[in-house]
Amino acid sequence: MADENDDLPLDVADDRIIAGRAADGDPEAFRVLVRRYAPLMLGYARRILGATDEVDDVVQEAFITAWQRLPELEEPAAVRSWLMRITSHKAISRVRARRPRLDVAEVEPASPETATPQRIVESRSQLEELSAALNELPDAQRQCWVLREVAGYSYDEIAEELGVPPSTVRGLLARARKFLVVRMEAWR
Amino acid sequence: MTRDDDSSRSGARSLGITPDDLDGHTIEELSAYLDAGRTPVDPSIEESAGCQLALQSMERLRGLSEELLKADEAAESAVANDDRWISRILDSIAIDARAGRRIPIGHEDPAADLGITEGAVRGIVRSAESDVHGVIVGRCRLTGDLTVPGEPITVVVDASVLWGENLPEAASRLRAAVLERLSAHTDLNIAAVDVTIHDIHRLPGAEDES
Repeated sequence: MADENDDLPLDVADDRIIAGRAADGDPEAFRVLVRRYAPLMLGYARRILGATDEVDDVVQEAFITAWQRLPELEEPAAVRSWLMRITSHKAISRVRARRPRLDVAEVEPASPETATPQRIVESRSQLEELSAALNELPDAQRQCWVLREVAGYSYDEIAEELGVPPSTVRGLLARARKFLVVRMEAWR
Repeated sequence: MTRDDDSSRSGARSLGITPDDLDGHTIEELSAYLDAGRTPVDPSIEESAGCQLALQSMERLRGLSEELLKADEAAESAVANDDRWISRILDSIAIDARAGRRIPIGHEDPAADLGITEGAVRGIVRSAESDVHGVIVGRCRLTGDLTVPGEPITVVVDASVLWGENLPEAASRLRAAVLERLSAHTDLNIAAVDVTIHDIHRLPGAEDES
């Protein structure tokens, strides 16, 4: 039979097809998954870890774990959020390895209440301001906020990842939000 | 809870996050209330203008988080074309880890121990896509008692079809191609090939004709 399909690139197929195929052991399908989600996972891991050269390692490890565990993935169509979860876990493990005890009483950043309108930089978008504000947060607060707002984790899930009680998560999250809300409002 | 007087002349006062502004509530309470989906409804929060402002601000931040992730992703987009980076992952994965179960194949000589792995069967099933225009094969499941030679096996295949192709026809051609390939390469007793088309894909740059 004629080979009619030579030119059809695998990457036109959706996640369900690609992840299902990678789960079945097709490395080319897995390569498509890596290309499709590496940018997202790098961006996300960088938010959790902050500026560090560990980000590449974390995401590469996450992909290798994903390859091993793909056959367990019930819903291949949900591979994106599944990869995000693996990335969260790998990133937080790094955080915990480099600082075994979460210092919840980290020094607060300069009080945002004193932010003055002069600090407004017109040329920066709201998004850039949020990005900059997040980078000013203490690590634990930033990690809580990212896990909650970006990845949609529950308090219990965040507590489990970070190894702290849910009440601590609640406090960290509230402080992060307070800081961000005030900073963002000051720019409006 | 004490009023932060210094803040009254600066940002926080007008932003409404001091306890007075929040009618006795705290940011921590509001933050947890927001995460609970604002249920059960707390009238003292819902009826406080100050609390409403603070909740709106927190919701706005939440709305930005999705955009933030998109921007972070875009900032890393170069990696998708970094073959060295991608190969570092592909080189570290164990390709043979997916062999799966070994399916025995009957033979006249009882001493002969022949078999084929599930992984190899799936590989054959996937290769059938090249016989059918516009079809990409996804997950493939083998059901039936795979441990007994000659037992009927059903192949369940997910597939995606190019937009514009006739779906029932594509499914039936894929089914025929899978059967043909399996009978050419294995002695398995294939009872059925079930094809499910889950997706319609478009080629990059294809016009939206719908």
